[in-house]
Amino acid sequence: MAANFWASSHCKKLLDQDEVSKVAQADLERGFTPEDVKLMKIQFSSYIKSIGSNAKVRQRVVATAIAYFRRIYTRKSFSEFDPRLVAPTCLYLASKAEESTVQAKLLVFYTKKVRPTFTSLFPSTDDKAYRYDIKDILEMEMRLLEALDYYLVIYHPYRPLVQLLQDGNNTDMTAFTWSLVNDTYRTDLILMYPPFMIALACIYIASVLKEKDTRAWFEELRVDMNVIKNIAMEILDFYDNYRQIPEERIAAAVSKLLTRM
Amino acid sequence: MAVGEPLCGANRYIKGHTLGEGTYGVVFKAIDKVTNRTLAIKKIRLGKYKEGVNVTALREIKLLKELHDPHIIELVDVYPHKRNLHLVFEYMESDLEAVIRDRNIFLSPADCKAYMQMTLKGLAVCHKKWILHRDLKPNNLLLGSNGQLKLADFGLARIFGSPNRRFTHQVFARWYRAPELLFGSKNYGPSVDVWAAACIFAELILRRPFLQGSSDIDQLGKIFAAFGTPREAQWPDMVCLPDYVEYQYSPPQSFRSLFPQASEDCIDLLQRMFTYDPKHRITAQQALEHRYFRTEPAPTPCYMLRRPSKPEAQPKPIELLSPAGHIVLSPPTKTRRIQLFCGDIKTAGEANRDLYAKQLPELGTPIDAITIPMSIDPKTNLRPTLNSTDRSYFKRKLDMDIFLTPARR
Repeated sequence: MAANFWASSHCKKLLDQDEVSKVAQADLERGFTPEDVKLMKIQFSSYIKSIGSNAKVRQRVVATAIAYFRRIYTRKSFSEFDPRLVAPTCLYLASKAEESTVQAKLLVFYTKKVRPTFTSLFPSTDDKAYRYDIKDILEMEMRLLEALDYYLVIYHPYRPLVQLLQDGNNTDMTAFTWSLVNDTYRTDLILMYPPFMIALACIYIASVLKEKDTRAWFEELRVDMNVIKNIAMEILDFYDNYRQIPEERIAAAVSKLLTRM
Repeated sequence: MAVGEPLCGANRYIKGHTLGEGTYGVVFKAIDKVTNRTLAIKKIRLGKYKEGVNVTALREIKLLKELHDPHIIELVDVYPHKRNLHLVFEYMESDLEAVIRDRNIFLSPADCKAYMQMTLKGLAVCHKKWILHRDLKPNNLLLGSNGQLKLADFGLARIFGSPNRRFTHQVFARWYRAPELLFGSKNYGPSVDVWAAACIFAELILRRPFLQGSSDIDQLGKIFAAFGTPREAQWPDMVCLPDYVEYQYSPPQSFRSLFPQASEDCIDLLQRMFTYDPKHRITAQQALEHRYFRTEPAPTPCYMLRRPSKPEAQPKPIELLSPAGHIVLSPPTKTRRIQLFCGDIKTAGEANRDLYAKQLPELGTPIDAITIPMSIDPKTNLRPTLNSTDRSYFKRKLDMDIFLTPARR
């Protein structure tokens, strides 16, 4: 999808760090710490990705679904919107918005299929999350639309990445930077920065790690290198601290979700 | 609802009567309690509750949320109510088709220029945002109370520009379909909308649909009969299109003979918009910069454009946004549609009227059901009220018919 990012709702709705990492009141009452919320979001991003790749949807759909998921939880609480239902529903909605609809029953099938690899999200078998069905997804779809305020167009760093790599004659780094971009979806960056800046930060990291001299090219771009550095730091922080999240920590966070109030 | 609490969702609007029935829902007139603004609400029927929110509706929401322009219909609000999604649009009085069909309106060259300019402005905005409309036709060009023209119905619209994405060529009403679509092209661009705009342009001048094909093959035949069969040099990529078939050569007619009353500039612009090769077809933005829009006569200011005679002028107010504009066969409300008709449909209102009048006082006494066909009797083929696309509605009526008949006997 090409389109004019600067005139889009996505651009106008970019958030800052505080807005993104705010914990909803209802979740605070359940004892969720900002760290818990961050972990949950990372784990559910993997969950969406896993369902998506099983259902063989395009990468774009997964990226859009994760962006929806993260955007919803800047406004709503985990207590009100069960993330275990929101995750597959985001994928369903994203598949429609990106013009490659996946049937709801297929999504239900694949959520069941990937469940064994995400046991920490489903601690007990008599939980309602075990029985989420097509009907629940369709009902949630409507609520998600409302929670997203019906803004559905999301821009991604992939297209600018390809263009920027070509521009700087760095196409040999495509595979590496591409996977870096994939990993940015484990963070809230997509809600905070223009996609091309994220792409640039990934190129920046790659060129440092691969010891490629891109300094002259970056200088010519005349972008704010401080912003690029901030994004890069955020990505590196993810790799340092959240690449492997111990199961217990996820389980502890999920258990707060299940406590009856 | 507590005082002071902001009105939202269904509570905010007072629903009026039905304006018309779209492909995927009913449109109501409504009034916003907060702003007192008149609006049109499109109620989206959910599919058989199996695939959730209609993809067409979702497309329309997705794109209109990104498009804000005086030449594009405004999506004011969206809200769910009783499991149906409701799209709230600004209210538009009529559409361009009603204008073209209204024989009481004389369209001066300046009027045509005004309508065309507004259409192309809306289109240019869409294309600038990489959105294809794909369903341009006179009755999707709505006219506001001040004569302002706006593009509406984005149910077929799509974002374009991704390389290698293949689109369906089954878009547009046939008469407005570009030749590359008729040849089955799957990676087309904004030029398809320009062709459709050209067809509307011609329709404004001629006051009838310009190329009225009865099938896809016939449509191409009609196009070629007017502009001549394209030669290789004119459109080199044509032979590579999926559904390409060779047509017998027919010579082009001069644009002058096709549009005898049009000015030189007008014909030049038409010619550029009706270019066969999509790569060389003029873009919406270029068309707006064409000298046609810069020379005399200046486009009529929109508030001075004549309105089509409103259906409201009829004794019974029926404001239907029906495709025909003013011929409305069905009664406006559902309650009237399903009421039983006491009398023979075929002769009602004619010689039988007296008999019918005589029968009326006896309505309380049992009537032999056999002699009185009900309006919902499927055997009488005289029901123009039934919308053939709405099968579930039809079925509901039939069910009721079955339910009622034995009870009356």
